[in-house]
Amino acid sequence: MPNDSIYFEEAQLNLLINDEQFQVDDAEPNRPLLWVLRDELGLTGTRFGCGVGICGACTVHVDGVALRTCITPLAAVVDRPIRTIEGLADGDNLHPVQQAFIDLQAPQCGWCMSGQIMTAAALLAQNPSPTAEEIHIGMDRNYCRCGCYARIYAAVEKAAQGQA
Amino acid sequence: MTEQKSQKKAKPARRWRWRPSRRGFLIGTGILAGGLALGVPIGLPILRREVAGFFDSGALPSNYPTDPALWFTVTADNRVRLILPKMEMGQGIHTALGQIAADELSIAWEQLEVMAAGTNEGPVDAFGTFGSTSVASSWEPLRQAAATLREMLRAEGATQLGVAPMAVTVAEGMVFVTAESARRRTFGDIIVDADAERWQTPEEPAPLLSDNALRFVGRSLPRVDIPLKVTGQADYGYDMRVPGMRYGAVLKPIQLAATLDSVDTSEAARSPGVQQIVVDGDFVGVVADTRWHAWQARNRIDAHWKAPRLWTQAQIDETVSVGGRGGITIQVEGDGSSPLRSGDVFSAEYRTPCAFHATLEPQAALADVRTDSATIWTSTQGPHVIRGAIAAALELKPEQVEVIPTYLGAGLGCKIDSKAAIEAARLSQAVGAPVHVGWNRAEEMRNGYLRPPTHHRLRARLDDAGRIEVMEHLQASGQVAFGFIPDVMAAVLGADFGAWRGAMIQYAIPHRHVRTWVRTLPLDTGWWRGLGLLANTFALESFMDEMAAVAGADPLAFRLDHLPSGDKGRRFRAVLEAVAEQANWRGILPSGHAQGIAVSEDVDTIVAQVAEVSMNEGGQLRVHRVDAVMDCGRVINPDGAVAQVQGAVMLGVGSALLEEAQVADGKLVSANFDRYPLLTLADAPYVEVGLLEAGDGKPRGVGEPPIGPVAAAIANGLATATGKRVRQMPFTPERVT
Repeated sequence: MPNDSIYFEEAQLNLLINDEQFQVDDAEPNRPLLWVLRDELGLTGTRFGCGVGICGACTVHVDGVALRTCITPLAAVVDRPIRTIEGLADGDNLHPVQQAFIDLQAPQCGWCMSGQIMTAAALLAQNPSPTAEEIHIGMDRNYCRCGCYARIYAAVEKAAQGQA
Repeated sequence: MTEQKSQKKAKPARRWRWRPSRRGFLIGTGILAGGLALGVPIGLPILRREVAGFFDSGALPSNYPTDPALWFTVTADNRVRLILPKMEMGQGIHTALGQIAADELSIAWEQLEVMAAGTNEGPVDAFGTFGSTSVASSWEPLRQAAATLREMLRAEGATQLGVAPMAVTVAEGMVFVTAESARRRTFGDIIVDADAERWQTPEEPAPLLSDNALRFVGRSLPRVDIPLKVTGQADYGYDMRVPGMRYGAVLKPIQLAATLDSVDTSEAARSPGVQQIVVDGDFVGVVADTRWHAWQARNRIDAHWKAPRLWTQAQIDETVSVGGRGGITIQVEGDGSSPLRSGDVFSAEYRTPCAFHATLEPQAALADVRTDSATIWTSTQGPHVIRGAIAAALELKPEQVEVIPTYLGAGLGCKIDSKAAIEAARLSQAVGAPVHVGWNRAEEMRNGYLRPPTHHRLRARLDDAGRIEVMEHLQASGQVAFGFIPDVMAAVLGADFGAWRGAMIQYAIPHRHVRTWVRTLPLDTGWWRGLGLLANTFALESFMDEMAAVAGADPLAFRLDHLPSGDKGRRFRAVLEAVAEQANWRGILPSGHAQGIAVSEDVDTIVAQVAEVSMNEGGQLRVHRVDAVMDCGRVINPDGAVAQVQGAVMLGVGSALLEEAQVADGKLVSANFDRYPLLTLADAPYVEVGLLEAGDGKPRGVGEPPIGPVAAAIANGLATATGKRVRQMPFTPERVT
């Protein structure tokens, strides 16, 4: 693999992000997806919090499943559909989770919110009518330092009811 | 109303193929520039920008300028831009201040845009966004500025309409002839045609609207920043980008008080993407094409450090203990502690640990340093403070430095740290290009500053009637304010006003004595939400419960029996009685559950809380519910105030149950969340919030006061539930069993 770059100077990896094709340098294919999104593609809506997969601020969807980009190597997501917070809304129509987070006035500082919303959207995609317990478990691995938990919970519940 | 992003970033083009040499995203053009092109400065000529001197005295801000030219821009399309010296870090300040301004301006909500003031625009705020002061300190000057602008527009509008000022009405951003409402001019029309000679800020302050004319103040309007925050569009310091920028990372010690002994950067220089290694004395940094490359390269620096000693947690605790030289008495009532020399004296000691801010956005700044100027984009609570720090670091004059603030990924007191901005500026100066520095979590934990540890010794004696006759609070703390003010001021003050926030005894006890010690530690400590309030209230209000138990009294009744007379006592009584009713104090609870109560006062806001807690057989403490009642005077945005109480309670619960930054082997043990877990959603209590108004129409602080009672209320509930009194935070299983 390393020799490829000698023969193909312009070698690139394909990424499918928010229904658009992007190409990035294929050197160091194990670099974290987070920094490719933020620094190479300018998609800064996906946030950095810890770098070790604990806080959840960097969550995106890959194949519709919530994934922590700070510990996801680029090579693992090549040609797989990636959705970031920038691509969650359908044009001007916000995703029901986004709308519920507005309706409940859930965010404070907002830094964790891309991750919270992507986690919630994936949760509801897999389980459209979660129980209280399932929301607790599904949203328990995303830190919010401002302590917006009650509103995050209520917003996820509301989004679920709106979808049902 | 909308939130105006301070700098707009272009989105990646559709089907955009990324190439290293053609970085396609940039900021600095877009909505803002277009808006300003339409804008007409409302003060013609532009009036001088007065620099208020409130910070010189160390006092809280009280004299913001009331000149509308500093606060407002009216655009030809009849929008009003409000330039706010207060930073939005999630507390909703841009919305609250927008409500205050929109009322006095008599405009429609949709006409208003708000944006954070950089150092080159808007009212100067050398103090920063701190101390729960923003609404209280802006309320009068902002209203005055808005009212003055409204009256200027009324006078100029009437002239343009050819009638007397008395003959017009101002409403919804328009001036119209009262008797003939079709004859009207919008604020935008008026500004465009304003006569420069006539358009002067009057000497006399304009009259303010009466309370019943306020349409926005007191209402739960939706926050203006939230739409940007649910779509990923909000830009924080960590997100700032300009063309040609690079990413930097600076070497830092892990051990406390360590100094650089030797360094070898040869391997780092060969690391992928590295553009330059910058070495200037003990400042060692790398500049690379991406942040990942910069961090990778920094990891390859071979550095050797010298640490003077390997500090242990026991040594930290020993350093921060009451007694000995250097104590400063901050409160004496009656005979102070003298009556404690006789009788049955009850005493108890309490400790609180170091804690991280752990804001999820670490420190971050983008710097573009040129020969004789510097521009800094950063998430900061104090742009003017950062400007001063950058000027000093680069040996520039402050006016050569412009600081452009962004949204903050939470503040909590840590985002006045200038270290990341200085690193970015020094690297930018060295490489001659814009450089962004964003700290990783380890830097954020080990190289910022922390909430200081505290130690408290309380003593008291009851009189024959079972009331407290004398109480003493001895308190030791690491520095809070002293790390940020000139040494000479600290020497004059003696006691660190940040550390003793909340340390005074508010109850009507005949003899009171409070004495404090401020200690210097091998790690930096400083501002943290509420400063000393959480720790001091934990000690004082835990002890109050212990004394109630000695007296055989109900904790609520015991507190009510010790309230001061006058208005303060009346307000304390009101919040205590309201929270007792709201929480159904002494009502029936599930088996194993118990309630604890606590109350505190901060920035003239009074908060009482009841925590419902239980403990399982493994010593795992659970907080099921927290009832809070807050009297913060006039409430600008009730839902926003409720959100602040909810958030402060969560931070307090996390501190009470989990958070402890420990030192071992000469370093902070935690470098990430694996060794410093935060409270999560499943463990978050239900929080019910009640709001009371003091009744004098004045707003008071909201952001910090509600963190005061949390830990004490939990500890008091735990004592009732289990009979075990816990006097050291956090309340981990080994401490409660």
